[in-house]
Parts: sequence; C-alpha cells; structure tokens
Amino acid sequence: MVLVLGVVTAVWIAAAVFTWRDARHELDELLDGHLAQAAALLVVQQARELEDDRAADAPVLHKYAPKVAFQVFHEGRLALRSPNAPELPMAEVGRRFKTGFRTVEIDGVAWRVFAAHGAERDVQVYVSEQVDSRGAILWAVLRSAVWPMLLALPLLALAAWWAIYGGMTPLRRLGRALSERRPQALQPVVLPDAPSEIQPVVASLNDLFERISGLMDAERRFTADAAHELRTPIAAIRAQAQVALGEADAAQRRHALEATLEGCDRATRLVEQMLTLSRLETGAAALPGRLDLGDIARQVAAEAAPRAIAREQVIEVSADAPCPVMGDATLAGVLVRNLVDNAIRYSPARAKVKISVSRDDRTVRLVVEDSGPGLAPADAQRLGERFFRAMGTGASGSGLGWSIVRRITAVHNASASVGTSAQLGGLRVEIEWPAAR
Amino acid sequence: MRILLAEDDPLLGDGLRAGLRQSGFQVDWVRDGVAAERELRAEPYAAAVLDLGLPQKDGMAVLTSIRRAAVKTPVLVLTARDAIPDRIRGLDLGADDYVVKPVDLHELAARLRALVRRAHGQPEERLAAQDVVLDPASRTVQRGGVPVTLAAREFDLLHALMLNAGRVLSREQIEQHLYSWGQEVESNAVEVHVHHLRRKLGNDLIQTVRGVGYIVPREGAAQ
Repeated sequence: MVLVLGVVTAVWIAAAVFTWRDARHELDELLDGHLAQAAALLVVQQARELEDDRAADAPVLHKYAPKVAFQVFHEGRLALRSPNAPELPMAEVGRRFKTGFRTVEIDGVAWRVFAAHGAERDVQVYVSEQVDSRGAILWAVLRSAVWPMLLALPLLALAAWWAIYGGMTPLRRLGRALSERRPQALQPVVLPDAPSEIQPVVASLNDLFERISGLMDAERRFTADAAHELRTPIAAIRAQAQVALGEADAAQRRHALEATLEGCDRATRLVEQMLTLSRLETGAAALPGRLDLGDIARQVAAEAAPRAIAREQVIEVSADAPCPVMGDATLAGVLVRNLVDNAIRYSPARAKVKISVSRDDRTVRLVVEDSGPGLAPADAQRLGERFFRAMGTGASGSGLGWSIVRRITAVHNASASVGTSAQLGGLRVEIEWPAAR
Repeated sequence: MRILLAEDDPLLGDGLRAGLRQSGFQVDWVRDGVAAERELRAEPYAAAVLDLGLPQKDGMAVLTSIRRAAVKTPVLVLTARDAIPDRIRGLDLGADDYVVKPVDLHELAARLRALVRRAHGQPEERLAAQDVVLDPASRTVQRGGVPVTLAAREFDLLHALMLNAGRVLSREQIEQHLYSWGQEVESNAVEVHVHHLRRKLGNDLIQTVRGVGYIVPREGAAQ
C-alpha cells in the first residue's frame, strides 16, 4: 500500500518536473521568438517613419503591456519607448551596442532583453519582457497540469487502498482462520469465494494438512495401542508382586517373584520393539552399506542359541557364502533377530528352528522356518496388524515383531512372505533381498 | 467361592489365580474365549473374571452368548481398554463390573465378593444367621461376638450355605463351590466339614435335609 502510493507520488513528481522543464524551454523559445520578431518590426518601422528626433511614448494596448517594454534609439538618442520603459537605455547604445538576448536588472526587476539594429546601425532597438511574467506563464501551465494530479492523489490513494484491501481480504481471512485453529484441527481450509490467485495456496495448505493429519493419526493410534499393550505386562507385574507380598509359602513366593521379573523383561522388550518401530516409522534414514546376510544370520543364531538350548530346541544355520546385499547392518540384524526370536518363542520345547541363506544372480533369499504350530490362514492375514499376536500359543509376544520386519524390508526394497514350512511343518518366513553386485 | 478366570496372558493369569486364591477363592483358569463360554455354561461359578482380548472368541462375544443362554453368573470384565464407550458397551452387554488393568488384587477380590453378594440379593458385606456372623472380606466368623477359628474349606462351606440361606444345597453343589479343577474331592469331605462346623458353631445352624442336602435357614423363617 505504502509502496504503491510512493511509486505513484514519485512518478507524478517526475512528470511535473519534466513538464516544467519542457514547458519552460518551449516558452522561452516562443517568447524569445516574439521578442526578436517585435524588435525586427520596430527596426523596420523606425527606419521608415521616425526621422524626427522627438522621443515618443507608444500607447498601451493590452493589459499585458506593462510586462513588456521597448526602446528605440536613433543615432544614440531615445526616439520611441513604451510607457513602462525607462528613459535610460536598457543596455549600452552607440558603439558598444550588441545585438542578441540578455537578461538585465532594471529597478530590481529582471527583464529579458532582445537588442537589434537597423541596416546602418543608426537605429538601435531594445525589446524586453519581465522574466517574472514568463515564470507566471510557466506556473500557470504547470498549475493546470498539477492541480488535477494533486486532487487525484488522495482519490488514487483511496482507490489503491480499497483495491489492495479488497484483494487481500481472502488472504487475511485465511490467516485469521489459521491463527484461530487449535493445533489438533487439521481439517481442510474452505474459502469458497477466494479469488483464483490464492486457490493454489489453499490447495497446497490443505494437502499439507492432510499429510500431517495422516501422520498424527498413525502416531495417535500407535500411542493408544502401545499404552493398552503395556497395561497387560504391567498388570501381570503388579499381580505377581502382590502375590509375592501376601504369600506365606517360600516356593510360591519365589515363583511369584520370578514371574514379576519375567513381566519386567517382557515390558522392556515391548518398549524396545515400540521404539524400534517408532524410529522406523518416523523415517530415520537407513545407512546403506555392503553387508553379508549369511554373516548376520550366523551372528543372530549365535546370540539366540542359548535361549533355544534352554528350551531344548535345535537351531541351525545353512548359508551360502557370500550373500552380499546393500543395506543397513543394524536394521538387517533387527530383522533377522525378530524372525529367529519369533520362531523360538512360538515353537514348543524340542522344536527345530532352521535359518537358511541362499543366493542367485539377482536375489539373496533368507528363510527362517520352524517345527512349531505355524499360523492359521486367518491369522496369517492379520499378521501385519500391529499388536496382533497369534493367539493360543501360550507364548507372550506383542505382535510388534512382524510390523518391524515389514518396515525394514520396505526400507530396503526387500519383500517378506509367510507360509508353511514343507520341511519342518511350522511357520516359514521368507525374505527376498536384492543381491548386491 | 469358586470363580472362573478367563485370561490369555500367561503371566497375568498366573498372578491373578495365585492372588485370588490368597483371598480365599477357588479359581479355574481358562485361556481362550471358547473355553470360557463352555465352562460358564457348564458350571455354577460364583463369579467370573473375563479379559476382553481373548483369543478364539472375544470377551464381548462370550458375554453376549452366555447372557443370551441365560447364564446369570456375575461377570467382572478385565481389560486394557479404558475408553468410556468401551465400558458402556461392556456393561450394556451384561457385564456386572468393569475393571481396567492393572488392578489391585485386593480390590479385585472385594469387587468379586460384592458381585457375588449382590447376585444373592445380600445388601450387606457381612452375612448373619442366628448368632453367627461371617465376614467374607476378612474371612472371619464370630459366634455371639466370639471369634471362631475355621479351616479354609469349612469357611467356604459355611459361606456358600449362608449366601444361599433358606435354600437347600446338594452335596454336589457344595463340592462345586469348594473345589477348583484338579483338586481331589474325597467322597465324604462335605459330611466331615459339616460335622466340624456343627461342633464349633452348634447343631442348629446347619440343618440336614435327608436325601437332598444341607440348609442354613433364613432368619425368621426357620422358627
């Protein structure tokens, strides 16, 4: 608004300056021309008519006449003058007479003087005009140009203000609507009468809202699910601790205390899984590098072996060498660990867990299979739902593991599929990972 | 008092069973919805603790079908879901109480006792018959203001008879109140317990209905 008015004012001032300069130049030329013309007329007139030596006053014929004056000298003596012309010559006469234009001061008034002489230099003529009168003309010209502009400026300002204010109204309404929103409110902004210029802004804004809303929904759902899922182990810990407090029998008390610890471990594992998943879902970048899935399978199996042995399970790795893939080594470890832990936990005592890694030209294939109960088809369908766990297995688990597996495979362009192991009869999970060159 | 516990989480189920036993309940523990429904239809439990997130058949579905089958056993729903709509739905579907995990075992026991009491139309926590007063919460019995020491089974038997005051309970019904699964029931156990109770509390309190069972007469109705 200020900018618009500033520019308009500047343009207007510049126009006025140019007008003034142009007008002054043209006016000077025109009036100088008139002076010269008048001088020429007087010279010609004098040469023919004023042979006598009497100085005469010319009549006043126009109200503008006092502003113009002339003197005619014949052989150095004043022969004719206008009533307002002084008796003394306006400039030198006689030998030192010079033709042409000059500006002189007579009685404190500036005059523009044109001097001319006849063919024999005996007639010398001064025609002059008050410089002020030129200024008055110039001012009159300028005034007629400036006044409408001066009047127009406030109107222009008003119009500009109105147009800008009007044009900004939808934006201002948008701003107000946004500032009045609660942070949770992510429904689209609706501005039905918004001009087409700001429609793209509204559209992008709504698009952003939608994406944020999706993210927040996922987050909210996760938090709610997580809180509920944590309640069960906490309830177990509380119940077992309370049993231990009230138990007189030493063996029973010990059992309850051990169960309390187990509950703590379970809650810890649940929290760790939630954190892993949450980090994966907020898109923490994977650090790709070259790694060998066979090595990772052996490492994970070595870590898991004590737990398997404790349940009298047999754990076995068969890996081609080498099985290079591109990926984040930590995430790949988390992935394989989840599969192996799952197989150990959901398989009964004395079950067999087999990890095999093989490769062909394009793919490295990791298979984890067990001789446990496997998954009913209905359960296999729900496997991806967070917090779903295969029920009735007597084992504790949150069902978060599979979500983690899926997220990690997605990050690495790998794929995971679930089936029944032909060899062992239990669950078979296969991960296909693009082979590194 | 014999109750059914339906909870799929092994650690929590184990803890609840042990804790409720400490409070004097006989606890049968099932781990899925189908078993819960089967047992609730088959046995006259004093009350049931039902987890909603049960495998095979959801707790809400179990509740709906047992109420449809006119099973009147009071049901306390135990759940991780604490949203008000969840609670309302649970209570509307026939739950008698709704408890959010984690729960204090003493509170759980008190709520179960209250459920049982209300189911028997007993407004008061303490049960009284003649000069005998039984307090289920502290598991104590007084006769004429004097504390009487009872064995756990004797207390449970007296509790069952006093809760059902004015009604004859058969020996089988009493056994169902006293023993949870896997507990050995000797053939004359009920007779032995009744004998001991009469010795401690007098012969008039528990009366034998020959060929049918035992009864604690309701106040005022007996004389």
